[in-house]
Amino acid sequence: MNTTSIDFQAFIEWDNNPFILFNDQGKILYLNNAAEILFGYVSKKELYDIAVSYAPQSFGYKTTSLILNYDAFVFHAITVGYKNEEQISLRLYNTPRLKPTRKIETDKLIVTDINILLEANIALFRTKNSNPLKLLADQDLPPFKINQNTFSKLLRKIFDTFRASDSIDISLKLLFGQHVIIENKKEAIVQLSIVANGRYADTDDEIRTLSAESHIKCLLKEHSIKLEIPLIQ
Amino acid sequence: METFFTTSDKIQHIIKSFHLTKTLYVSSIIIGEAHIGKKSLARYLFPDAPLVSGEDQEEVEIALENHDELIITDFEKLSNQSTLDFSNKRIIATANYMGNQALIDDLFAFIYTMPSLQERPEDVKYLKDMFIHEAQATLMLKDKDIDADTIPLNLTMNSKSLKKSIFSHLSKHSMDHKDIEEIIYYYLLKHLDGNDGYKEYLGLYEKPLIEAGLKKYGSQLQLSQVLGINRNTLRKKIYEHDID
Repeated sequence: MNTTSIDFQAFIEWDNNPFILFNDQGKILYLNNAAEILFGYVSKKELYDIAVSYAPQSFGYKTTSLILNYDAFVFHAITVGYKNEEQISLRLYNTPRLKPTRKIETDKLIVTDINILLEANIALFRTKNSNPLKLLADQDLPPFKINQNTFSKLLRKIFDTFRASDSIDISLKLLFGQHVIIENKKEAIVQLSIVANGRYADTDDEIRTLSAESHIKCLLKEHSIKLEIPLIQ
Repeated sequence: METFFTTSDKIQHIIKSFHLTKTLYVSSIIIGEAHIGKKSLARYLFPDAPLVSGEDQEEVEIALENHDELIITDFEKLSNQSTLDFSNKRIIATANYMGNQALIDDLFAFIYTMPSLQERPEDVKYLKDMFIHEAQATLMLKDKDIDADTIPLNLTMNSKSLKKSIFSHLSKHSMDHKDIEEIIYYYLLKHLDGNDGYKEYLGLYEKPLIEAGLKKYGSQLQLSQVLGINRNTLRKKIYEHDID
């Protein structure tokens, strides 16, 4: 079968796995949709360096399995290939994500002003610690449905990981243009971000479990924790 | 309305946090030594909430079924902690110690530790004045009978021992001749027996007499003159009663 007349670009364009084509200077010649989103979290240079380091010794394609982690993106393998000296391609394979097995029972949740929960947890934190703490909150956030108890527990554990930090910046904001689908309803996302000069990681597993229970996406990093909380109405 | 007095920053933060979560359905626990005001604090913050004690497991279970808002005291005494369901309820528990940490951690969203009285000198001052007033009213004492600065304060069991030390100090210091006679009378009525009673119980009178005398007059020579006994006799008695 003659395939030369078929245009494959659209298939790559809409592939869920990022695909990037660099030239020999590291300039991007082509990138698909998934790669475009990925570049919000990682630099062009970093990915080009990876492509060059894992390139096959001579012309051809080589797949290497390795774990790459950029914020919410986790990849388990990459394929690097080139058939001339001018172009090199990099394809990253998404690690399948486990779908939360627990269904969220939205009717059992209570409409809550998240700022109150946040402030109460800050007061709790202050009974034990005297670290300087800055809060930038959005008082206009609409109240939304949440399990108050689980969420408070989650906040307590998160704050505890910052118990030894001497600068803690907390901010709460609506993520414009981003949504999550819960029970076939499109919900807005609010982001709680806590940045400090260090933190303990001893309870990270518990934080992940509690977040998953409330359908909250959590990004745990060395100096920060970000929660993406669905604004369930 | 009942008030709760404190100058402790820690407790102020606890109160602030409770005020914020007052309308929310979250579970909280206050942990701290006995008699430091945990229950009073819970009562002050939630004056209308029903209150049950962890000593009575059945009562707690029934109350949990019937109320959305509940104060549970002595939480550490409950043996069925792991079976409790606090979801969508407003629970305020108090406990003298943590017990099973993992379980407490799992059950409660807000875990507060309350400082003991020893860590709150300002609060002790306030409680001391309060207990002195109470003792004054109970024992019917006049202001001039009381020298608040000389009262030794015992904080080993927080407010319980503090109150006891104030009451016992004030009642001791307000006794007259007749009270003392009466106390000795009842004491002897209970304990007197054997065949050497006179000598045995003479010390009740002699020992405090000599101790107070030595403190007041400083030297044995002077005291023997005040007491009108021979110096050698006094010496002997000091030795007998093992007085320094």
